[in-house]
This record gives sequence, C-alpha cells and structure tokens, in this order.
Amino acid sequence: MPYILIFVASAIAQMFLPWWVIAPIAFAVGLVASKSASGAFFAGAGAIATLWIAYALYLNVSADGLMLDRIGNLFAENLKFLKDMPFTVSFFAIMALIGGLVGGFSALAGYQLKRLIK
Amino acid sequence: MKFIKFFVSLLLAAGLTYIFNRPLGALPALGKLFSPFEGFWQNGGSTSSPDELKLEGIKEEVSVTFDDNRVPHVFAQNEDDLYFTQGYLVAQDRLWQMEFYTLAASGRLSEVVGERAIELDRYNRRMGMAETAKKIAASYKQDDIAFKILTAYSAGVNAYINQLSYKKLPVEYKIIGYRPEEWSPYKTILMLMNMRNVLNGGSEDFRMSNALAKYGADVVKDLFPDYPVIESPIIPVGTKWDFTPVPVPSVPAEIAANPAAKEGALAYNIAAPAPEIGSNNWAVGGGKSATGLPILANDPHLQLTLPSIWYQMQLSTPTMNVYGACLPGTPGVTIGFNKDVAWGVTNVGSDVMDFYQIKFKDKTQKEYWYNGAWKPTTMLIEEFKIKGKSKPLQDTVYYTHHGPVLYNHASENNFAKNVPIGHAMKWVGHELDNTDLLGFYYLNHAKNYDDYRKALTYYKAPAQNFVFADNNNDIAITPNGKLPLKWKEQGKFILDGSNPAHDWQGWIPADQNPTVKNPPRGFVSSANQFSTDPTYPYYLGWRFAPAERGLRINERLEAMQQATHDSLRSVQNDNFNLEARRLLPEVIKILAADPRNKGNAAYETLVKWNMKNDPYEVGPTIFERWVKELRYWVWEDEFASQSTTQPMTYPTKDRTWDMIKNQPTAKWFDNVNTTDKVETVQDIVQNSFKATVDSLTAKLGPLNADTWAWTKVKSTDINHLGRLEGFGRQDIPNGGGPGIVNATSETHGPSWRMVVELDKNWPKAYGLYPGGQSGNPGSPYYDNMVDKWAKGELNELLFMKTKDEKSSRIVSTTKVIGKK
Repeated sequence: MPYILIFVASAIAQMFLPWWVIAPIAFAVGLVASKSASGAFFAGAGAIATLWIAYALYLNVSADGLMLDRIGNLFAENLKFLKDMPFTVSFFAIMALIGGLVGGFSALAGYQLKRLIK
Repeated sequence: MKFIKFFVSLLLAAGLTYIFNRPLGALPALGKLFSPFEGFWQNGGSTSSPDELKLEGIKEEVSVTFDDNRVPHVFAQNEDDLYFTQGYLVAQDRLWQMEFYTLAASGRLSEVVGERAIELDRYNRRMGMAETAKKIAASYKQDDIAFKILTAYSAGVNAYINQLSYKKLPVEYKIIGYRPEEWSPYKTILMLMNMRNVLNGGSEDFRMSNALAKYGADVVKDLFPDYPVIESPIIPVGTKWDFTPVPVPSVPAEIAANPAAKEGALAYNIAAPAPEIGSNNWAVGGGKSATGLPILANDPHLQLTLPSIWYQMQLSTPTMNVYGACLPGTPGVTIGFNKDVAWGVTNVGSDVMDFYQIKFKDKTQKEYWYNGAWKPTTMLIEEFKIKGKSKPLQDTVYYTHHGPVLYNHASENNFAKNVPIGHAMKWVGHELDNTDLLGFYYLNHAKNYDDYRKALTYYKAPAQNFVFADNNNDIAITPNGKLPLKWKEQGKFILDGSNPAHDWQGWIPADQNPTVKNPPRGFVSSANQFSTDPTYPYYLGWRFAPAERGLRINERLEAMQQATHDSLRSVQNDNFNLEARRLLPEVIKILAADPRNKGNAAYETLVKWNMKNDPYEVGPTIFERWVKELRYWVWEDEFASQSTTQPMTYPTKDRTWDMIKNQPTAKWFDNVNTTDKVETVQDIVQNSFKATVDSLTAKLGPLNADTWAWTKVKSTDINHLGRLEGFGRQDIPNGGGPGIVNATSETHGPSWRMVVELDKNWPKAYGLYPGGQSGNPGSPYYDNMVDKWAKGELNELLFMKTKDEKSSRIVSTTKVIGKK
C-alpha cells in the first residue's frame, strides 16, 4: 500500500513541482501508512526507483536514446568506468539510486517519526 | 533510541535531498538532472509543433510551416509579426547557443563557467565589444527601421524565454547550471560584434615590427611584399575604376614605431588573422549557364560547431519573400535568395585592426603623449562576476583616442598572447554605425542590381565581398564595408600613437569601394584574396588569404559552359591542390637527386599523387605536412615565430615558393643556427622532406594507405560550441584542406553551402550546413545534415510561393495568433 501511495502521489506531484517533492511525499506516506522500518524504506525506495525508471524508459525509447547517449559520453569523459557498460545500465542505475535513496530514507524518517510520537 | 533512529534517518533523507539538489564540484545538481520529470531525459527527441500557438505581441495571424528538415517557413502579414516570430522560432531551437555567443562577446562567460574563462573574458571586454554594442544599441531612434526590427525580434525571443520552465530548458543550461536572461537589441548587436571579431579581429602588426627592427626596410620589402607573385584578384585585372579618387594621405617619414624603443618586453599575443577563416562565393552569368540565367554559389568557412552557426528559414510578408541562412540572434536572412535575386558573402581580408604604441606620462596612465602635448586617457572599470567567487574582479581599462589599451603589463596568462603591452587598438569593430542590419534587410527585399547597390550602402563592418545575381541577368561582386583611407603600408607595422600622421585619416568613399558588374569573363568570384590588383588607388592591406582557392575557382569557372547547379556544387567540392601543382615540379626535381629517396614509399607516393586532396589519398597527408615543415626549415632560424621575446611571422607561402623557384641561391636557405655549414635549397628541401616522413612514420607507423589516408590524419571534428564532450561529431570522413576550394580543415570549413539557380518565374536553390536545425543535442535534427555535408551533397531547398502551397515535404503547420 505505501508503495502504491508513494508511486501515485509522487507521479502526480512531479508533473508540477520540483523533483525533491518526492521527499516530503515519501515522508508523509511513511508517517501515515508504513508498518515497519524496512517496509517503509523499501516502499519509498522502490516506488521512486520504479517510477523514475518507468518514465525515463518511456522518454528514452521515444527519443531513440539520443539524449542518453550524449549525456553518457559527456560523463564518461571524466568517469571512465562508464564506458565499460551500456549507458542504459549505468544511467538507469545511477538514477534509480538517486531517487531510491531519497525516497527510501524519507519514508523511513516518516515511519521513525511515527514510532517516536506514538 | 527511537529519537536517534528518527534523527539519523531524517538527516539522511534531508541531507541526500539537499546534496542532490545542488552542484557538486564540477557535477551539476544530480537530482534535478537525473529526474525524468525535469532532467535531461526531458530533452530527448524532437518537439512537435502545436497546431495553434497564442503569443502576446502578435498582431495578425502568422502561419509557420515546418518542412521535413525542420526548416520553418514563416508567412506574416506585417514585419513586426515576422521578426517577432523569427525571434521566437530561433530561440525555440537555438536559445542556449545565441546567449552563449553574447556572453562570450561581452566578456561574461566567467559568470556561468567560473574562473577558467576569466582571461578570455578580460580580453574580450578590453577589446570593447560590449562597450561598442551598448553605444550602438543606445543610438537608435524609436522610428528607425532597424530598431523596430530589433525590438520585434527581441520580443519574440523573450516570449519564448518567458514561458520556459526548468523542464524545457536547453540541456546545456541544466548541465552547466544557469538560466537564460532576457534578450534585447543590445544582445543582437553583440552577435554582430562577435562576427566583427571572428572575421576582422586579428593582427600581424607586432610580428612585422619585430622583423622590421631586426632586418630593416629593404629586407622586409623584399620578403614581405605588398602584392603576391601569383594572384587573381576579386575585381578582374583590367577593370576600370570609374571614379575620381580622393587624395590619399602622404606617407610620413617614419612609418612605424620602433619596438626596441619601448621599455620592457612586449607581450605579443593577439591572434594573427586566422587563415582558415575564409570563404568562397561566385556567380556565373547567363552566358555560361544552361538556363541562360545566372547561378550563384556561396560557402562561408568558419569554425565548425554544433549547434551550427547557421539556421535556415523562409521569411515572408506581403512585400518580401526570402529564404536563406540566418545567424541565431540576428533578425533577417544573412545569406540567401528571393524570387528575383540571390546574394552571398565572403570576408574582405583588408587590414582594419592596427596597434599604436602609447607613451604614457607615468604609471597612472592618466595621460599620453600625442601631437606634442599630454592628452588625457579615459578610464573605464570593468567588473567581472565569477561563478563560485563571492567577490567580483575589477579590471581598469584606459582608452586613448585611438581605442582601448589592451594590456598594461605583462602577465603569463593574458589570453591573447599577441597583444603588445601598452598598445592601443584601433579597430573598425569599434565603429558606431548602426545600419549593418539594414544592409541585409534591403538585400532580403532586393529585386535587382540597383537595390543591391543601395543595400550595400548601409553595410559597414566587418567588410564582406557581397556577390550578387538576379533574374535580369546581372551579376556583380563588391568588396564592401567601411575601409580606412590609409597611406601605403599604414598599419603594416606598429604605429606611433603620438604622431597625428599615424592616425586613421578617414574612409575610402563608400561608392569607391571596388566593384564589378557583368565582367567580360562572364562570372564573378571571391575567396578572400586581394580585392584588387595594385592599380586600385587605395591601400587596403599587404596580406590577404593565399591566392590558391581563388585561382582554382576562376580556372574552373573560366572553363565552364552550360553550367547547372550541380556544376557549381562540384566546384564547391573541388579538392585539387593548386599549391602542389605550383611547388611539386620544383621540389620533386630536388628530391629525385637525393639517394635516400630511392625506393622510399613516401617519395614514390608523392610523385604518383594526382594532386587532389581526396579523403583516401596519401599524397595530401605527406604534402600538407611537408609544406609546414618546409616553411619551418626555411624561415624559423631567421623569423622565429615561436620566440617569446621577439616573435616574427614567416614570409608568405607565395614568396617562399617563388624563392625556391627563382632565387635558389638566396641566403635565407642557409640555417643560421649551424655555424659549420652553409645549407642550400637542396639541403633544406631534402632534409625537411626526410623530417616530414620520419615524423609521420613515428606517429602513424610505416606508410600504409589506410592509416596514412588524408581524412584520417586531417580528422575533421565538429565540436560542441561549449566544448561539452560527447555533444560533437568527430573524425568526419572528407577531403579538402585550408588552401583547397573545399576548405575543410581539422576544425574549420564550409559552414553553409548554397547554390541558387535564378529564374524568371521561381528560383531553384540547394543548400545545407554541417549540423541541423535543432540546437538540442537530443534531437534527431541536431546533426542530421552532417553526413550529407561530408559527402559534398546538397539538399534541394523548399522555397514556398504562398503559405497555402502544397508539398509532400511539409510536416506540420502552426497558426500563430495574438493572445489578448
């Protein structure tokens, strides 16, 4: 349930608000709906990671991967290890990590607040 | 315990959010950049245009049709709407690029990229481009046509900027981390200043002064003559000057300031005029064409970048319908055609930037010696905001009546290493005439030769060779712009800033700029070579672009009959090496006498070479490298170009090749650094050839048709304008070279190729540039013309008669209407 809540709420909110709106949303859902610490974390991390991956996948496919290729080569110029695997792997992983960490820890913080004030 | 768990998780959540929302060192804000909802993912693909667009400021309905190459065809009912829409559309495709040019020209790059751009910024600010642009922008009156155009265009650009959310920002803004500013007429003028700098901003004066000081007037006269041995000037030899020349200032007793008299070392660092900045244009008359009407061609050679410097558009109102290449940030069409006429430009290589040695009264630089008295300088404090620094940097610039003093004291990292310290710059780029835009405006409207001549009177700088053709069977070419009225050789060397006779003394009357209409040879052409032969009554400069491109174009056109657009296209792609044809017969004889060349593969290749710089020939690889080496071997010992204390420039290739042929015993062949031996021309030719082959072998391995292929060694790159890795195109397969009609070098080349067949009813035109209409690196239209360009092909251009014209090439049409 928390997973779906975070997924849906942050999908809608991000249409209009900056990317960091995922943090308060995950926090609020963690506070209200989560039942365990690990449940909160994985719901937050999973929801944001899958949401971002899904939407980025859609955008990337409809753009024939052109933008990812440019950005990939730009980053790879300084971060050579990026040349060792397809950008679709590395950049989706980096993106999922960024969104996932923020979503996960925010939801966890929400849940911990619930524990604290209960 | 619960509190600690909460606190730690909150800290992690908030901390990560904070970190990912701000730049990390060189990395941009990662959360913003990677979020698919607003980051770089949003920039992929091509944006489709809406059926209807409501914009505040549009008065009457405008129709914009996009063709299959994403070229917008704009049909407006009045000029305000036309230029408004042009501004909007160019911004939509090229906003980051146009702002980048203005930041560079105004010396403000450090504001967005930080300290690494500060020396470039200081240099550009000291050159006074921002200052001049500011004055020009302020000089317009409300009802000036140029001002109306500029204002409408700016409003269009701003209409686009104002509706931009972060998500829709060009990706470069996201990566570098800043936002676009409001556009204004001043910024468009900065774009034009940028062109003045690129095309007219270089100087050999200081290097020449060093040569004069070291070797004296006779040697300089012999080795650096004012006209080449071989030349085919733009105005054909024998053309009558049908005007009465104005008196030319007499040559003063001293024609140069003595660099040795100046205390302290001079920091010599202004760039020499870039030999690769050049262009070709020509028009053949009806007598030479298959249609019986003129055909015109133009290919301006500039630094090749992505996004490209050009943007194609068709602009139409009830009184005008024009198509061509536009400069992003600049209203109107710069190179193009309409129903009746076509025109193109190449740069005039005349000397319009001079340096004056300034004798200051004291270190404060408040006064300088001029005409027997102390004259006050004007002080200007330039301020530089630098990204990542809390305090702005200040730089004091002193202006003399000549112009700004470029650098006051030597500094290792002064950007342009060729600027003489304490030397004031006099530059045509500082002229405040505000009508350049009108030159193009009236060309866009022109119907015949008289309109062309009238349009040229508005255009001042940077001087260009305007080629022209119309469907009345007139062809013409005019090196046109403000040209200083100089005494002979004025500004060939550093001038004396205290001597009034060294000041620029006015201008060549505009109607006495060289021009030719319908010459007997049946064609007109230019390739940046000398504007005229020495019979022209005014001095324009001592050095223009080498003659080879012009000579080759002229011999091709001379031989041409029943020309079509395709014959002209083939001239644009001509790879024949005229320099090889001139030099090889002389030097092959010398190489043949060298026993080391028996069975030498490189020598054999050169002998058998067809003298074409085709992509997969090995000959040009050896020859082009050798030409550089040979000049180095002949001249570096006497005219040290790399010297830090007294740098000089080599005599031209024309002078050098002539010396090899006609003065083989000249003392200059001896290497003065070897005391035990007197080198002959044979030694220099043979040893420089061996050195060439040795260094090529060291770099490329033993001679092999694949690794030594010209295209691989030359390796043309089209890099991103902001040097973002991965945003450019590398190793483009093509031939040509700097002295070749197909003037494609490592970094420069034909930035737009156009051929127009004039017609009584409707012209047929062809063209493309090495890039694409979209400035967005994630769009398929970012670089879609590059491959075709590399092959030397052209696109047929869709030139619509009306907005309702049907064509299978039309992709979409947008109706632009006013927003109440």
